[in-house]
Amino acid sequence: MHGFFRWSTKWWPGVIPLVALWVIAAWTNTAPMESDLAARSAATLKDTVLDKRRIAVEGRDVTLAADAFSEDGRRGAVAAVEAVSGVRLVNDETGLVPEARPFVWWAERDVVRVTLGGSAPLPASKSRLLEAARADLGGVDVVDQMNLARGAPPLFDDAALLVLDQIAKLKEGKITISDSRVSLSGMARDLGGREAIAAALKNLPEGFSVASNEIKAPPYVFQAYKDPVAVTLTLTGYVPDNNVHAALAAAAGRKFFSEKVVDNLKASIGAPSGFASAVVPALGALSRLSTGTLVVSDREVKLSGDAFYDAAAVQIRAGFGKDFPQGWQFKADISVKPAAAPVDATVCQELFSDVLAKGKIRFESGRAIIDPDSAGLLDRLIEIALRCPNANIEIAGHTDGDGDDGFNQTLSEKRAQAVTDYLVKAGLPASRFTAVGYGSTQPIATNDTDQGKAQNRRIEFMVR
Amino acid sequence: MAYLLIFHWGWLLASLLLGFAAGWIAVVHRGQGMSKPVSRGLSVLVAALVAAALTRVIPGRPGYWLDLGLVMLASYLVGCALGSWLRDRVLSRPAPAP
Repeated sequence: MHGFFRWSTKWWPGVIPLVALWVIAAWTNTAPMESDLAARSAATLKDTVLDKRRIAVEGRDVTLAADAFSEDGRRGAVAAVEAVSGVRLVNDETGLVPEARPFVWWAERDVVRVTLGGSAPLPASKSRLLEAARADLGGVDVVDQMNLARGAPPLFDDAALLVLDQIAKLKEGKITISDSRVSLSGMARDLGGREAIAAALKNLPEGFSVASNEIKAPPYVFQAYKDPVAVTLTLTGYVPDNNVHAALAAAAGRKFFSEKVVDNLKASIGAPSGFASAVVPALGALSRLSTGTLVVSDREVKLSGDAFYDAAAVQIRAGFGKDFPQGWQFKADISVKPAAAPVDATVCQELFSDVLAKGKIRFESGRAIIDPDSAGLLDRLIEIALRCPNANIEIAGHTDGDGDDGFNQTLSEKRAQAVTDYLVKAGLPASRFTAVGYGSTQPIATNDTDQGKAQNRRIEFMVR
Repeated sequence: MAYLLIFHWGWLLASLLLGFAAGWIAVVHRGQGMSKPVSRGLSVLVAALVAAALTRVIPGRPGYWLDLGLVMLASYLVGCALGSWLRDRVLSRPAPAP
């Protein structure tokens, strides 16, 4: 044993190369060991949910900086790194993700993009929301402005996903979830979108409620265009339902006696109240124009075009909007079609016959009151009469064979007179017209069928 | 500690061999050994360094370098002890008959 102590006093010379060895070992091993520890610390935290995680290693000491989403999660993360083999100390620079009060999240849509902002509770929910936004809004740019924060209400993700579905139904607007209250504003993409969103919001998770819903519907548009060249009436836009659709198509057929009706209407909810009551008389006004456009946008009705003659323009302007339901706004921008060249009496007769072959002047059943649906036809007849100012015209009334002859005679006379009065009221001199009633004495078809009777009930214009 | 040994095993083996050589030579070395006060002073220094390492008062890289140095020194000393003991055993063995 004594020898052992004696020898140990002579061990020191080897310390000099040992120090050299130590310096080289420290020089070459520090960086690889630090990166090994950093990699293993990061691996151990792989499944721990942390925000802004940063791992720095100096020697065998690990500095862990991160924001955890709960106190347990924070402590667990520190303990996990401490347990990594080789780690000597952990400098704990962890904290908790800030708590948002109130917890606000929002999604905003404009023309080109959708922006998600506010607070999301976890990185996983944040990426799920972004993914859902991209899936729901294929092709639209999705911008992420979300922060992470604690304090989200329970079932936040479900509510936010439901809200994102609604963002797809908006043209522009913003939906905000503040704690458990949902506020919406903006403009729906389609008619009915507002109603669809309101219905979908009924499925919000328990605890959530709608604080305000200020989604506006896009304007409810109906358009009619009378084209004198193609001789068509084109209807586009929306109608509330199939019944109104059928009623409008029938009214168009009656009022536009010679035009082909091109019906491109679609049924959609969201019509303003009194839609049909406003559109039918507006179509009547359009039928009196040579060419014209009718635009109904929500409760605003605009009519523009050319009337056949001056008095018609005045009448249309004065009468437009009178029959509309309360609260409707209207504007008539009516000019007068340039007068057609005068023609001689023979041509006038041909023109009268042409027009009356396409449409008939209608009256209330059994009475001598002109059906307002015939206004367009009468305007065409007046325009023709204006082209042959020197011709005298006999206006002949005929009835079918039903009923008493005396009654038919009187009715035919009264109807011929009603038409004459209408022409005089339009500014034509009374002296040019003679109203004659023939009762049922001059049938042009059999009185045995309804069709024949309808043909026999007629007004004829005879140039004398 | 296990990590330190495993990660630096090559360096520790080198220290052990160096110590073995130093111990082997020390048995037959005729020169002056280290004086008592110096060896006592060095022992105190090493004890202080061990205490510093155990209490982890030196942070970061210097802390690691201290740990590494002490482990290498320990390995060296073990090598010295082994070398001296073996050399002593070899010398005290009776010489084989010519």
